Amino acid sequence: MSVADVLSVMPLILTGVGALLVLLLGPFLQRGLVYCLAVAAGTAAGVWGALYPASYTPAIPGISFSPLARYLVPIFCIAGVLTLLYSHGYNDRHRIEGEEYPATVLFGLFAMCVLPCATNLLTLFLALESIAFAFYILVAIDLNRAESGEAGLKYLLFGAVAAAFTAFGISLIFAGSGSLELSAALDFRNRAIMSAGWGMILIGIAFKLSLVPGHLWTPDVYQGAPAPVAGFLSTGSKVAAAAFLLLLLGVAAPARELHVPLFALSLLSMVLGNLAALRQNNIKRMLAYSSIAHMGYLTLALLTGTRDGYAAVLLYGAIYTAMNLAAFGAIAALSGDEERARMEEYSGVGYSAPFRAGVLALAMIALAGIPPTAGFMGKFFIFYSAVKGGEIALAIIGIISAAISAYFYLRVVVHLYMRPAETTPPQPASPAESAALFLSAAAIVVIGVFPNALLHYLGTVLR
Amino acid sequence: MSIPLEHVIILASLLFAMGLGCTVAWRSNVIMMLIGIEIMLNAVMLVFVGASARWGVADGQLFALLIMALTSAEVSLALAMVVYLHRRKKTVNTDVFDSMKG
Repeated sequence: MSVADVLSVMPLILTGVGALLVLLLGPFLQRGLVYCLAVAAGTAAGVWGALYPASYTPAIPGISFSPLARYLVPIFCIAGVLTLLYSHGYNDRHRIEGEEYPATVLFGLFAMCVLPCATNLLTLFLALESIAFAFYILVAIDLNRAESGEAGLKYLLFGAVAAAFTAFGISLIFAGSGSLELSAALDFRNRAIMSAGWGMILIGIAFKLSLVPGHLWTPDVYQGAPAPVAGFLSTGSKVAAAAFLLLLLGVAAPARELHVPLFALSLLSMVLGNLAALRQNNIKRMLAYSSIAHMGYLTLALLTGTRDGYAAVLLYGAIYTAMNLAAFGAIAALSGDEERARMEEYSGVGYSAPFRAGVLALAMIALAGIPPTAGFMGKFFIFYSAVKGGEIALAIIGIISAAISAYFYLRVVVHLYMRPAETTPPQPASPAESAALFLSAAAIVVIGVFPNALLHYLGTVLR
Repeated sequence: MSIPLEHVIILASLLFAMGLGCTVAWRSNVIMMLIGIEIMLNAVMLVFVGASARWGVADGQLFALLIMALTSAEVSLALAMVVYLHRRKKTVNTDVFDSMKG
């Protein structure tokens, strides 16, 4: 292992060592300093990942800092750092103490950074499961609310079954091809075994991406988890699961056996996710169903199997991260001792906390896909690639369901600005929360107006 | 090798289905669900070891070893959570954990 190898895996070293340092130094340092250390480690990893040139040669067996990793590692690091910034004030108010929280966030971030670097199925699977492990702990970390522990247990049981399915799929692919390299997943000489393996993997990933019918855990887990954790879960782990599928597919189109299951998963998720979200009065449950629908759009772009489709998936991953972190961050920053759960509790907040409510409204407008926000660009490229890839029927259904979804997103905006206040106004936000909210809002607007830089880089990723 | 790979896969599939059945049928008891998940992961290891022998490479055995590490971490996490929830509600029956609709 040469110096160049060490330098190319530096994001992994920074997050991994950072997590251990936070855990070891936590008892001796002030709480604020521990969070600063964690934020510094995440930021350094993200900056390094964005600046260091990518290459396909493996640095250590099973790990190479590929162009895909160079795109995804900074996104994951931004998500992790923003989560930490949101969490500091939130955890103060909700009495979530101890250094294990920032350490677990960094451990999850480490696993996320490993995933796009993986060059064989073993590393890929272990990274996916390590992400889930970090989230099992983070979801259940709020000891003062009964729902948090329940959500953690539910997530763990569903996640473990999903892991078993994914592992069984990988084992069948290994049995069919005799290799654990990523390319083995495309080696269809033993058609029956390989198709069965791919089917099992799809079931496992449908759970992770919360595609209908594997979505049952999502609303409960989002509702039970602390708001910053729900934000990290809905962005980092979802983008990682999508990257898992992309890496397995290579840049090739999905095999013809996968077309029908992917079609059904995408259709059901888009339609049922958006329809179920209409009925929700709890904002986090509404966002959970919205994330089911958004993962349906993502699957639609995957289904086309074209380069445009994969570029749309990766672009949407970045945009969705910005939108959902802004939404959950605003929910976290607006919470007092208790989170504001029902829509009515947001009435009039637009006048008592204009900045935070403004970011929440912007996130909702972006999620609804209204220009000039990034949400519009993301949806545009997904439906464009779907129409170009020949999935016209599904694209039309997707566009109609996206139009319906505007109702429940704009309902939040209506409550924020057009209803008289019912609850006490929120306390002032901490500087860290304001900075993080500003960054995510800026990302939504900037990507929405100038998507070209990202798209240009995506062209080189998917060469 | 005297046992063909097909037989190993059929046995593993049966085991996997039984584990899944256990998890689904005893949905009311967390411990039984964990046992079912263990059985499913054991079926996975069986396929890996069998395929490893069939192809003459050690990769599958390595994967099986790491699945063991993974399951032990998973079970320790799950049991810690069960103990924590048991202290709150005095039961391992999942029907009691229903404060959220869904």
